[in-house]
Amino acid sequence: MKFSAYTVRDWVYVALFGALWGTLEITLGAYLHVIFPPLANTFFSGLVMAGMGVVVALVGSYFVPRTGAVLSIGIITALLKAVSLGGVKVGPMVAILAGAVLMEVALLLKRVPASWRYVLAGSLAVSWNLPHKFVMMRLLYGKGFTEVYLQMIREGSQLLGLDMGYAVAIIGALFVVRLVVGAGAGWLAWELAGLVARRMGRE
Amino acid sequence: MTGLCTPLGPGSYLAFLLWALLLVALLSDSQLWLLLIIVLAFGWLNRRAGWQVLARRRFWLFILSIVAPAPFVLGEPNVRWGVLRLSQAGLEAGLWMVVRAVTLTLAFSVSLEVLSVTQMVDLFDALGLRGLGFALGVALNLGSVLRDMVEATYHTLRLRGGRRRPFQSLRLFLITVIANALRYGDDVVKAASARAFDPTAIQWRGNHILEGADKAFIAGLVVLGIGLLLDKTGI
Repeated sequence: MKFSAYTVRDWVYVALFGALWGTLEITLGAYLHVIFPPLANTFFSGLVMAGMGVVVALVGSYFVPRTGAVLSIGIITALLKAVSLGGVKVGPMVAILAGAVLMEVALLLKRVPASWRYVLAGSLAVSWNLPHKFVMMRLLYGKGFTEVYLQMIREGSQLLGLDMGYAVAIIGALFVVRLVVGAGAGWLAWELAGLVARRMGRE
Repeated sequence: MTGLCTPLGPGSYLAFLLWALLLVALLSDSQLWLLLIIVLAFGWLNRRAGWQVLARRRFWLFILSIVAPAPFVLGEPNVRWGVLRLSQAGLEAGLWMVVRAVTLTLAFSVSLEVLSVTQMVDLFDALGLRGLGFALGVALNLGSVLRDMVEATYHTLRLRGGRRRPFQSLRLFLITVIANALRYGDDVVKAASARAFDPTAIQWRGNHILEGADKAFIAGLVVLGIGLLLDKTGI
């Protein structure tokens, strides 16, 4: 990553898209967490916030086509989230940074911007939502949590008279939904950035 | 910032966070309470920074959701409480999970809430990432401008009958917000350039990332960390 090659314009655009993502996280993210409390539903609010974050960050990378731009946007967003009124929230900060790293990795594959790279970047970033919960729980509660979770799945399956395989199938289906939403967000970012660039005469 | 930790710079808080994260990963469950006391004490010395997280109902609800099932699903049930059969070992394991969660959350809160935005920008400068510090400063001041921009665009589209064609309106909304934000960004670039701002220039403010007090503090953390780790192995 060569930050020395960044111009003032690049840094201002990084700030701009970081602020846009941060504003979404602080306002809409807070609303969604009130409407869908994290204990009851992390799937929906996580999916919406990750999808929107992907659109903003990838549109940003279109206008700052440099290595490290998406990661920088993610760092700014995470710091804005940290200094927001709600206080430091470890989970969303880790999710934002992990999403940004995954998008950056996908964009590193080839330097020339292409729609498929945006789709890949979006899919990777949104699909992080699934392991995120497990990683955070493992970090926060230690290895005992895994036992609790597995036991709860086993007992839940027995209670509902379902095979354990169904639980795995449900998790797999939710993962596919995340991949599809991420791909859609990546494609939307590509289209949207192209439209804006054409209208502003920047192509 | 006042309090006993006044002479500490941003490097110390960053080091404290990394130190706490490392120890949370390395220490055994039974030793974590020591780390929790240290983190709580550090927060108290910094005007109870990060302690407000403990007053949030959602935080305790979140923790309760993990602890409550532990005596039912972990370990062999050996205690009867009414019609319930509980496991004492499971309850203990659940409580250690709480200690770990509280320690980690507090370490983050204490370290990040103590740092002001200026200190964060200084930290980026000291790490040779002046551009990122500049971007953070710009982003913090852009928040209200962007909110106004979004609001104005929304009301304009709504007054022009945007709700009758929701998809086309959403498309126009997104394009307008991004285009206006980029135009505003160009104005910020002009203002920064007019002041001869150079993100690659090394800014000398006469302060290093680690001052004398910071070095002593970090040395203390290292000694304390090694002590805790050796104690773990029973030496």
